[in-house]
Amino acid sequence: MKGLIKKDFLLVKSNIKVLVILFIVIGFMSFTFNGEMNISFVLPFMSVVIMLSTFSYDAYNKWDAYVTALPDGRKNSIKSKYIATIILLFMIAIGVSIITAISTYIKDNTLDFGAILEMVLVMLSTTIIMQSIMYPVIYKFGLEKARIGIFVGAFGLGFLASLISKYVDFKPIIQHLDMLNNYLTFILPIVTIILLYISYKISEKVYKNKEF
Amino acid sequence: MMNNILEVKNLSKEYNDFELKNVSFELPKGMILGFIGENGAGKTTTIKSILNIVNDYTGEINVFGMNNRKNDKAVKEDIGIVLDDMFFPEILNPTDINVIMKDIYVNWDSKLYFKYLKEFSLPTNKQIKAFSKGMRKKLEIATALSHHPKLLILDEPTSGLDPVARNEVIDIFQDFIQNEECSILLSSHITTDLEHIADYIVFINKGEILLSKTRDELLEEYGIVKCTETEFKKINDSDLIRYRKSKYEYEVLVENKKEFNKKYSINTIDKITLEDLMVMMIKGVK
Repeated sequence: MKGLIKKDFLLVKSNIKVLVILFIVIGFMSFTFNGEMNISFVLPFMSVVIMLSTFSYDAYNKWDAYVTALPDGRKNSIKSKYIATIILLFMIAIGVSIITAISTYIKDNTLDFGAILEMVLVMLSTTIIMQSIMYPVIYKFGLEKARIGIFVGAFGLGFLASLISKYVDFKPIIQHLDMLNNYLTFILPIVTIILLYISYKISEKVYKNKEF
Repeated sequence: MMNNILEVKNLSKEYNDFELKNVSFELPKGMILGFIGENGAGKTTTIKSILNIVNDYTGEINVFGMNNRKNDKAVKEDIGIVLDDMFFPEILNPTDINVIMKDIYVNWDSKLYFKYLKEFSLPTNKQIKAFSKGMRKKLEIATALSHHPKLLILDEPTSGLDPVARNEVIDIFQDFIQNEECSILLSSHITTDLEHIADYIVFINKGEILLSKTRDELLEEYGIVKCTETEFKKINDSDLIRYRKSKYEYEVLVENKKEFNKKYSINTIDKITLEDLMVMMIKGVK
């Protein structure tokens, strides 16, 4: 499995220049906006883009068929993809934390590690949840169909939410959610881990029976 | 003692538009089995079944005396693969492949891998996408050979290669088979390659095995009789396998050309090539 994780990172490595440039641009932006710009959006954006590119390279060269013919390839392919995703996420999270810390320090001459950690934790969880939903869809339907599915799904959910908001008064619900906000740092990681586990199990099942 | 490195028994698999029907053959140790058939005949599906790339098949497949499903990992550790159009993402380079493969195969031999790369004049740090088709095939073959496999499964390993590259690749296979414990299953529709190196020929058409014989049996015993319509009408149905009618003559595929000659005294019996055989079996009338 180590070999398969390395494969994904070697794929990422070939795009490393783009990543470094992106980080420099983001760092520069956060300074020019005087530390007021929240750069945590970089986390889901980069992780999704990078990992989708690995799926894309895999699909183009029918890697999934090839890996299935290698020892334990079918078993380890899914596991390695999830582990590579998590490692990559933490690497980006560390990068984002450092840039945020430096830019806020330059601006305010103070460092609020708690706030940075909370911000990164929320974005980390959100990203993992997003990718947990995407991966089983990609494994089931292939990258191209999954892309359309994810777009339609996101659009459909947005449309549904706006439709419901016309008829339902969300204020009391939001008040309740505000209460939950106090416990967010505890609840979110737990929910994330559960969703990640469910996603992994679904992907594993889909892949186990998949023919290439 | 196990004599067959590979045994495929009654392999069947159904798709919406294609069916593999009771495919059976054996590959003894130290031999090269040429698996021939036109595109879409079922060669790749058979190979994918042996490697468990496809799941839902019936029948039994034993590799190194072990069931391929129950011993998936153990079996694959000793198989080297070259699959048609399936390989590493092409933004990787040969050095990356070494980094990956040494954690995949227990017996991966980096030294041997780089020795092959040098022998094949392949650059180590160039992305695969910059490789010519021949270079890419050689890289796939180097990758397949570098964990000291006992069985090579090669799906169309010479397709798209120029004659010089094909010759080099065939030499590699012949070197590999010098070790009598090793075998090769070589699927190809380029039959001339197999005429040079295969010990056995298995011919598949529309998902069914039509012929399974040694190369020498096929090339020495089978023949194509060229005769007139009058001569053709005298031939018993049981003495011909297939026939084709051209403008001026009949071409008849026969199984035992010596016997046939004795029986019918028709002297124009051509030596057969695997390509003739394939064409006659597919296009000829039964």
